[in-house]
Amino acid sequence: MSDHNHHKDHTHGHTHDPVEDGAALRVRALEELVIAKGLVDPAALDSVVEYYERETGPRNGASVVAKAWVDPEFKAWLLKDGTAAIHSMGFKGYQGEHMRVVENTADVHNVIVCTLCSCYPWPVLGLPPAWYKGPAYRSRVVREPRAVLAEFGLTLSQDMKVQVWDSTAEIRFMVLPRRPENTEGLSEAELADMVTRDGMIGTAVV
Amino acid sequence: MDNIHDLGGMHGFGPVPIESEGYTFKHEWQRRAFGLTQSLAGNTPFCADMHRHKIEQLSAVDYLQMDYFEKWTVATSELMKDAGLVDANELATGVKSFAVDLTKHPAVRPDDLVNAMKVGGDYTFPAESRVAAFQVNDTVRVLSNCPSGHTRVPRYVRGKIGTVCNVEDVFQFADAVAKGEGPAPQHCYLVLFKATDLWGEDAEAPDDVIYLDLAEAYLERA
Repeated sequence: MSDHNHHKDHTHGHTHDPVEDGAALRVRALEELVIAKGLVDPAALDSVVEYYERETGPRNGASVVAKAWVDPEFKAWLLKDGTAAIHSMGFKGYQGEHMRVVENTADVHNVIVCTLCSCYPWPVLGLPPAWYKGPAYRSRVVREPRAVLAEFGLTLSQDMKVQVWDSTAEIRFMVLPRRPENTEGLSEAELADMVTRDGMIGTAVV
Repeated sequence: MDNIHDLGGMHGFGPVPIESEGYTFKHEWQRRAFGLTQSLAGNTPFCADMHRHKIEQLSAVDYLQMDYFEKWTVATSELMKDAGLVDANELATGVKSFAVDLTKHPAVRPDDLVNAMKVGGDYTFPAESRVAAFQVNDTVRVLSNCPSGHTRVPRYVRGKIGTVCNVEDVFQFADAVAKGEGPAPQHCYLVLFKATDLWGEDAEAPDDVIYLDLAEAYLERA
């Protein structure tokens, strides 16, 4: 740990630190080893990464939310059987096999976490952001959700009930945010564009 | 097991390092690490609870210092070592020193891997296969023991009293699955805890609540 801390890597053009360099070396060693041993097809590795980078992500969840905002029957189904309603839109697979959608209302605000690891609904939200996986969010949001939400710029009144959902089993949670006011004229696609990842985690409102 | 991964309710971690990132991976090596773990889960083989348990066994210092995807890589490497597919020297050097039987551990093909992710796992069993010990509105207490292996009870609810809000499906039991003991199917329950019951007078508001899904084996009637 020394003057290498902030040197420029001229090959990749980004700043890095010794902890990261160690991780990169470890990963490269494992990759070279398992490919040499025939245990991994490099094309399979590329294809799974590409799938998560291009085909999953919060746009999927946003389309679920927008549909619920315009279609009361779908919304009722989504809240009653999140798994079936979300799967009906084609968003299924690993870490989204069992879903519970929780609704924000005028009186209740929901926020999701995984205190034990990093459980997150991949098919609808993609892979979790770094802070969701880190110790500050995971340790604090169950004990002081209001203080954590305030750091995200969301200050809730004492009248608003806060419900925290800790993902401790196979069921993954997603928040259904409240539909913003004065959006009656917007199309489902335009509404989906308003929905953010953090709105579906519960660290923001839409 | 009691270790640093069980973070819920701990003090001292400071502000949340919020970054409104739009990326899935920040570094190329994280991309490779993610792909490696997914590519190796099928033919090693291992499941998520086994992988989580390896991460839980890291020392607290390593757990807090290592990048998330480095922890994934360590866990995957350990599981491969346990399966006899690699040894410590190979992992340190990245150089192959012995061959493995690829008929028993065939590399997963690209389409098969992506399809497996799109399909996901099946963790449930028929609802009628078990009789639920608890019903909605039952008051339950979380057992106060903590097994030394993998478990999905955060310590902040251990010994605490909550209310059953939903009888979920019959699921595999993470503690057993992580040990390779099979699914040990049982009901899972959505349990509501009052913030005041967990944090006492430190609770931020009297009506705030916390929900957890807990396996039947973790609960007793209160």
